[in-house]
Amino acid sequence: MSKAPLTPVRLAAVGMDQRQRNALRMLFTTQCNNRYVLMEEDSSEICILDLDVFGGERLWEEFRERHPDRPLILVSLKPGEIADAHTLFVQKPIPVNQLIAAIEQQRRLLSTRNKTCSQVESGAPHPIAKNNHQTATPQPGKKNTPRRAASLMSASKEKIFVGTSPDIDPKDPAQLTKVYYKPDHYLQGIIQQALNQAVRYNKNIAIEGPWPAIILDIEKHKIWVSAEERQLRPYCTVPDATLEVPLRIIEVDEASPIGRREFPIQAFLWQLALWASRGRLPHGTDLFQPIYLRRWPNFTRLVMTPYALAIAALWAEQPRSLIGTAETLDIPQRYVFAFYSAAHAIQLAGETRRAVDTLIEPPAVKPSQNRGLFGRLLNRLRGG
Amino acid sequence: MSDYKFIFSGPVGVGKTTAIGAISDVAPVTTDEQASDMTKAQKSGTTVAMDYGMIKLGDRERIHLYGTPGQERFDFMWEILTQGGIGLILLIGNNRPDPFSDMHFFLKAFKDFIGRSKVVIGVTKMDLTDKPRIEDYHLQLEDCGVKIPIFEVDARMKGDVSLLIEALLYSLDPGLEG
Ligand SMILES: Nc1nc2c(ncn2[C@@H]2O[C@H](COP(=O)(O)OP(=O)(O)OP(=O)(O)O)[C@@H](O)[C@H]2O)c(=O)[nH]1
Ligand SMILES: [Mg+2]
Repeated sequence: MSKAPLTPVRLAAVGMDQRQRNALRMLFTTQCNNRYVLMEEDSSEICILDLDVFGGERLWEEFRERHPDRPLILVSLKPGEIADAHTLFVQKPIPVNQLIAAIEQQRRLLSTRNKTCSQVESGAPHPIAKNNHQTATPQPGKKNTPRRAASLMSASKEKIFVGTSPDIDPKDPAQLTKVYYKPDHYLQGIIQQALNQAVRYNKNIAIEGPWPAIILDIEKHKIWVSAEERQLRPYCTVPDATLEVPLRIIEVDEASPIGRREFPIQAFLWQLALWASRGRLPHGTDLFQPIYLRRWPNFTRLVMTPYALAIAALWAEQPRSLIGTAETLDIPQRYVFAFYSAAHAIQLAGETRRAVDTLIEPPAVKPSQNRGLFGRLLNRLRGG
Repeated sequence: MSDYKFIFSGPVGVGKTTAIGAISDVAPVTTDEQASDMTKAQKSGTTVAMDYGMIKLGDRERIHLYGTPGQERFDFMWEILTQGGIGLILLIGNNRPDPFSDMHFFLKAFKDFIGRSKVVIGVTKMDLTDKPRIEDYHLQLEDCGVKIPIFEVDARMKGDVSLLIEALLYSLDPGLEG
């Protein structure tokens, strides 16, 4: 069964949902020149199986029972070791070039098999090595020249809102623990709970404790505070694991603004989250799961941390992981973590849950042809 | 000399002339006239032809800022105006009778231009009318597939107008250094 060289390679996606299939189909048509087509398992030559779907391991076993030697590409977020001559492993999110390399390797496996069977005289034979290793090759080392510091914030302000923590190695558990904070141990968590209650009962809430009196006015979407920022800040920056939630539903008139400072709720929570996190992340945030941005924050009325616009623009295009974002933009992790913590506190950002979001690695950012000009204009707008 | 341009657009009286003036290096050229009867109630001068401002970068680059006149709703001239434009700054007045339909109207009118560039939306006059909120504008655009920056701005504040343009630049190129 010899094939014309241009016959597309027939692939099947095993156990993947419709979104993931569509993503692959789109990739094959737009970036692979239709060299590959996605078909049902029965008519395919090479299969791709997502180990992370529910029951993924079992799917894999059953697949091997059906097709003991069909070329297979396994994908998963967790690094894998596969000892099997017909199986390759690619870690998700899949870099497009690695997926193509894996498909091509499996295609060559098929054609050597076919040639051996039909005894066609050999071209250059491709010995297939035993694949008990990942096809993933480390990315060529990125240049580690730090980007110019964004001039949006003074150094002292930056320390308060973003902290000064160095980058961590996410694979080192000891370093990993340093990167988290528990919002519930700060005033941030209490205000978040107050907001939930206020929304649920559609009532104003007084948040009472050792700190200056705080009142949440749900109808006006405002927070009233009976003190200066500097009197409030200690409660926002020092953790207290014993914090109780002293919330009291109050009547509208009690929220009257006499002698109180007024903040929009979102801007207040945003700032509290920056104060508490100082470049860290809410406890348990996955560093490798892509992050979605529900919508652009209303930046003109929020504390803007360095690189916040770049991060927002990147996530507005497509979800990316926290680590991937810092790498793509070539910036220290704390800026990404700070922005995420603030955006997460007002529910503008979160971890993606759909399988399709982790399937294929987001593309590198294409520099626009006007990048130089844009940079100069940016500088000017910032008063440089 | 290299020339680039941004387009400011939006309904009548939302602050286009003011926004261009806030960031222009040259005194903005406007062709404001005594308001017609229709707009008289709102303000004293309305732009009948076009606004023009400019930002000079060194002596080799110029960014031209064009504002569409607010009075006519849409004109074939606008499509011509957008030729070679880098992006669109759309201003919507929160105190107008139906700001959502204003927004939809202008996004549709500039659909082709937005398709080949980017757009940011500044909602002005929220100090006068605080509803709808910025979230409500986002909800209106939820099904449109792209995430557009929408900020509360006061066209008289240089910082607000600058931030809108910064967001536009990052939308065009998230990898921009700065
Ligand atoms: N209160 C308030 N006034 C604003 C705001 N933005 C702009 N203005 C004022 O609104 C008025 C109208 O602004 P213009 O810049 O003339 O509006 P325009 O869009 O050019 O109007 P046309 O040319 O008629 O379409 C001016 O008096 C501005 O100072 C804002 O956010 N709040
Ligand atoms: Mg005008």
